[in-house]
Amino acid sequence: MAEIVGGFLVPHDPVMFVARDAAPADQAEKVWGAFESCAERLAESGATTVVIVGNDHYMLFGTTCLPKYCIATGHVEGPLDQLPGLKKELVNNNEALATAIAEHGSETGFDWAVARSFTTDHAFSIPYQLIVKRAAELSGREIKAIPVYLASAVDPFITTHRARELGEQIREAVLAFGGDEKVAFIGSGGISHWVGTKESGKVNEVFDNRIIDLCCSMDIAGLAALSDEEILDQGGNGALEIRNFICAMEAVNAVRGELVEYQPVPAWVTGLGLIELKVA
Amino acid sequence: MKRDVLERVLWSLSIDRFSKEKFKENPEKFLSRFPLEAEGVRMILEFDVKGLQEVGVSPLLTMGYWIEMSPDRHMSSYNKKLGSESDFSASIKG
Repeated sequence: MAEIVGGFLVPHDPVMFVARDAAPADQAEKVWGAFESCAERLAESGATTVVIVGNDHYMLFGTTCLPKYCIATGHVEGPLDQLPGLKKELVNNNEALATAIAEHGSETGFDWAVARSFTTDHAFSIPYQLIVKRAAELSGREIKAIPVYLASAVDPFITTHRARELGEQIREAVLAFGGDEKVAFIGSGGISHWVGTKESGKVNEVFDNRIIDLCCSMDIAGLAALSDEEILDQGGNGALEIRNFICAMEAVNAVRGELVEYQPVPAWVTGLGLIELKVA
Repeated sequence: MKRDVLERVLWSLSIDRFSKEKFKENPEKFLSRFPLEAEGVRMILEFDVKGLQEVGVSPLLTMGYWIEMSPDRHMSSYNKKLGSESDFSASIKG
């Protein structure tokens, strides 16, 4: 039977790649180093597959169809939005497990939108290339990755309540999956950032630390209780990605979270928080 | 004004190479294919990202279309159009 070995909550900030030198050097070093630390921890966890919970940024899904939640069950490549140091490449998807999650959902009230051949955006590809792929290099073993996309940035948004239920469904599907897979989860996004609005460049450290505290104490109910109005006001439209955290946290069912690093970086338009979800 | 067709046009101009080429060739002709009101056409042609957001268009799309199609593509100009004082200038696209 498959086993869940842990997880991470990390940002997916493209400005880190396009304006590397814009941030103060000490902050930049700490953030890049924190991604490397997550890769080392993932390598040590023994994970063989990582489910990355991210969100589209109105690139992959257009106005003709906006799924609340989608899983890639076949060929995967990305990112569509290539960045300096983040080039498009094939992703080693765990097609069998992804299909099992979708099929389990069909039987339990979760009608997944399925992508048979999928191109990711940076929400998946930043943690994939900086953490999963790097962990595979460090450990010398193959680590597959499954993209899960929630409607966390383009409305109609998935509700925080449904994001939590979906995390529980994924967890049940993974635990029911045969074989000896060791599965980790990454919730990709946040924390405070304003995307494309006149407030862009603002970072709210108070809000960020509140979210970090909720994550580290595994207070999923507290996270899910935040209203969209409060999140938009305090953390910006980018902070709606907390939904990705909620889904991943519910899936991992960790005993606690451990802060790896937090840096508020206005030059990178984001409060960047990296947290490890520990199962023991 | 409804956001639906405006968002469809902006999504195409952010993502679809064919749409981008046709818009560059003849923007008025490209936009005539969509059931847009005159004010919607004006906002798109003038890159009025503030006006577009005020009628409910997603900031993700106003930013994407600005980066792909606007004359200077700089985020500092985008921010000024929105009425922001931010001097942040990095594009999120490589």
